[in-house]
Amino acid sequence: MSSVERYLQPSVINQIKRLDLRAQFIVKGFLHGLHASPFHGFSVEFSEHRKYTPGDDPKDIDWLIYAKTDKYYVKKFEAETNITGYLAMDLSRSMAYTYRQELTKFDYAVCLAAALCYLMIHQQDPVGVVAFDTRIRRSLAPKARRSQLAQVLSLLASIRPAGQTDIAQSLNQLAAMLRHASLVMLFSDLLADPEGVLQALYRLRHGGHDVIVFHVIDEAEARFPFDGMVELEDPESRQRLTLDADAFRADYLSAIESFRQRYRRECAQARIDYVPLDTSMRFDRALMEYLQRRSVRS
Amino acid sequence: MTFVNATLLAGAAMVALPIILHLIMRRKPRYFEFPALRLVQQRHETNQRRLRLRHLLLLALRAAAICLLAFALSRPSVQFGSGVGSREAPVAAVLVFDTAPRMQYRQGNQTRLEAAREMALWLLGQLPADSQVAVLDSRGGPGAFHADIATARQRIERLETTPAARSLTETVEDAAQLLRQSELDRKEIYVFTDQCRAAWPSAAAARMQARLADLRDVGIYLIDVGIEQPTNTFLGLPRLSAQAMSTNGSLVAYTEVGLISPAAATETRAVELYLLDDQGQLRRAGVETVELKPGETRQVEFRIGSLPIGVQQGVIRVLGQDGLPADDERYFTVSVQKPWTILLAAPAPADEYAYFVRNALAPDTARLRGQSRFVCTVLDQRRLLDHNLQSYSSVWLLDPAPLDPVAWKNLADFVAEGRGVGIFLGRNVGRVDAFAGTAALELLPGRPSLQARRPNGDFYFAPRDYEHPVLAVFRPVAGTVPWQAFPVFRFWQFEELAPNTTVILEGNDGSPLFYERPLGAGRVLTLATPLSDRPDAKAWNLLPVGVIDNAAPFVMLCHQMADYLVGAADEMLNYTCGQTAVLNLAPSVQPRRSFLLIAPGDLRMPLSGESSGNRIAVSATEQPGNYRVVAGGGDDAVDLGFSANIAPEQTELDRISLDELKEVFGPFSFQPPARSQEQIERVVSGTRVGRELFGLILVILAGVLAAEYLTANRFYRDAE
Repeated sequence: MSSVERYLQPSVINQIKRLDLRAQFIVKGFLHGLHASPFHGFSVEFSEHRKYTPGDDPKDIDWLIYAKTDKYYVKKFEAETNITGYLAMDLSRSMAYTYRQELTKFDYAVCLAAALCYLMIHQQDPVGVVAFDTRIRRSLAPKARRSQLAQVLSLLASIRPAGQTDIAQSLNQLAAMLRHASLVMLFSDLLADPEGVLQALYRLRHGGHDVIVFHVIDEAEARFPFDGMVELEDPESRQRLTLDADAFRADYLSAIESFRQRYRRECAQARIDYVPLDTSMRFDRALMEYLQRRSVRS
Repeated sequence: MTFVNATLLAGAAMVALPIILHLIMRRKPRYFEFPALRLVQQRHETNQRRLRLRHLLLLALRAAAICLLAFALSRPSVQFGSGVGSREAPVAAVLVFDTAPRMQYRQGNQTRLEAAREMALWLLGQLPADSQVAVLDSRGGPGAFHADIATARQRIERLETTPAARSLTETVEDAAQLLRQSELDRKEIYVFTDQCRAAWPSAAAARMQARLADLRDVGIYLIDVGIEQPTNTFLGLPRLSAQAMSTNGSLVAYTEVGLISPAAATETRAVELYLLDDQGQLRRAGVETVELKPGETRQVEFRIGSLPIGVQQGVIRVLGQDGLPADDERYFTVSVQKPWTILLAAPAPADEYAYFVRNALAPDTARLRGQSRFVCTVLDQRRLLDHNLQSYSSVWLLDPAPLDPVAWKNLADFVAEGRGVGIFLGRNVGRVDAFAGTAALELLPGRPSLQARRPNGDFYFAPRDYEHPVLAVFRPVAGTVPWQAFPVFRFWQFEELAPNTTVILEGNDGSPLFYERPLGAGRVLTLATPLSDRPDAKAWNLLPVGVIDNAAPFVMLCHQMADYLVGAADEMLNYTCGQTAVLNLAPSVQPRRSFLLIAPGDLRMPLSGESSGNRIAVSATEQPGNYRVVAGGGDDAVDLGFSANIAPEQTELDRISLDELKEVFGPFSFQPPARSQEQIERVVSGTRVGRELFGLILVILAGVLAAEYLTANRFYRDAE
């Protein structure tokens, strides 16, 4: 592994405190590994004209073309050929969980989101942020300016996960906010009623948005490393259970696998990209998923 | 089941401890936050049930561990045998000692009897208080429980070997009989034995088992004080060519000498024969050297001539040291007297009739040198009537012609005094009525009836067995004597045999040929065919030389008949210890009421009231050695003697196997032979109070603790 690629390791990134550097290292590490990839060198300079359709902003009409052709054409902005990305961050209390006391699920999600933001900004893709718990608490409109990166990172660094969450309600709220077809990148542990979450994702998809679900769970939630008698408490509901971890491990792993499998299956049917992650996995998995999506869009 | 520390069983109450701990001090599980809890809730219920089950399992294991610990500390025992009650309950114990001479086997400066004594004295100290103790040994006799342990101790300390030991089966039988008298519940027999096969004859096993069956429950303990691989040189019983012989004869004494040893090396041993002279001093009369291989026996032979008249006694010794001296010396007695005189009466020409017999009994070569055992006088039977018979030891009628009734009467009187008459019927019988007179029928086995003819030469002597003294000489070569080469062509048959007549010998078709009839103190032998036919006549039989010109069977038969008729074969002067010796007094000796017995070690004791008629019975023959019986002085003096030897089985050191012992005891279980105090303690304790389960319970406890540890560890494994 090269010295750059090692920044794709969550444990390495965890040692970097500044989020912008984290994002930078992640992306550089990722791009370093992409030398031979088909995504290398795609254009970000493409633009075109198209016919005016009612609803378009009249100020976008290219009057020069009208003068020449007597037809209304709107100038397609560079941004329109790009993906407008929304980083939807889950602020639930459960996202603050870490078994190893290193990188919480939220930290992992933020690093990932920052890296994606960094990548998108460098490709002149507008990117915005929404952070939600039971509803959208913070948001930043998508922009492709260089300064957007700092704003996004600033926002990501300022938010903290706490309290209850209602993913479905928040996504519905987001869906109502989006005017153009966008790429919604949801960073969540999805620890809520799957039915409601899926319905909200369907609605986003139905609204013409591309959706990537980054299902971030903790390493402990993926592997259940406990043994002996343990008392487990849900940080959100404060519900407790005492159980024999050794005897229960197989049951749990089966449950988490069927949970993920359900999302994988339902998302595939709705053409939603579902990326199961845990906090021990490298970041390039998520970045690759984004680039694939962008490739399809362009 | 019994407990050494029953009070410690109360410790089982500690079982409440883990239950209390389980209920009120349940150990807290480790706490973790876990956001994905909602995923586990649905499966939690199943897991909880399993968890409760494991908790209960853990609780049960801990409770079991405490119970087992209390149980083990109380030292429980389970009885597998006949133990009754607690360890300290009194017992009725019979200590049976094998006191056969082989118990004198010495090893480690200790005889087997001393080892048994030491073990028994220790055992006495182990018996519970108020126990009843009896001590029995191989001497036999009625046993009784001793008044106290001290008396039993004295009895044990005074135990000695006895040359005429009874078998242990008989002694155990007595012990069982004695135990029936005890009212104590617990009955025990301790047998101190060297585990030699001779002590446990299987023939007597059935009686012992029957006696043991009378007891409801008895613990039988064998204490083995024997030697696994003994080293011993031994002599067999001496065998003499004759126990009564004439001065003209030679005494041939045989004995077996053998060696048992774990080593394989051949050993050289000297065997010596000593004779007692007039002064009672031993004088060496012969020595033989033998090479002995372990497990082998060799025969040694001593030939002694010119023995003076009277009772001659001697001893045969094997030289050298070994573990068991009791079988290194053997004693013998022989009676030497003047040659016996035999009157051979026959019709004229008597010399011709007597030719074969006289040459068989007193061959000319021996007679002329004065070395013949018998002195034969040939007499024309017509002179028998006025011939004085008193100087003869025996009268033989060879092919007699009819005799005067007075002559028959004289012969009957002669026999009744204790002498012998031989009648050999042949061609001169003539009319059978001549032999059917009252006087003749007193001697003959019956009235002669017919002459049986077997002219084909296919009729001959066919002894069914060789038990009769007359035939005893043929016993060692039975089956090889060519009787068919000595055919009998004619013989007399008798009708209505006298009631006391026995048939000694029959022909090969079952026809009786040879008869014996006792009369008074004497006996009459009748052969139905002539023993010594006239050489010039057509023979009634070919007994003297047969068709193979071999006179050996005829000579042997004549000598045996002569010995039997003169009483030499009756003399039995060599006994085994414990047998009652019966000595014959000469007919001329006046019956008397008191004799003096001189036993080995010059122990003198009167013999009174034990003589009857012309015989003396001596029952005090327990010590091996040479005995003398004397009385009176002068012409009427009595000087008799006999020897007693330890029976060979009393000194046989072959060990009995456990399987053979089991056969002896049959359905009765006995504890495996113990050889040390620890083993005795273990088997006695195992039977009396049962086998302690301490070790077994500790093993189970360890298993339970291991299971508890694993289970608990699985539940409450500490975080790394």
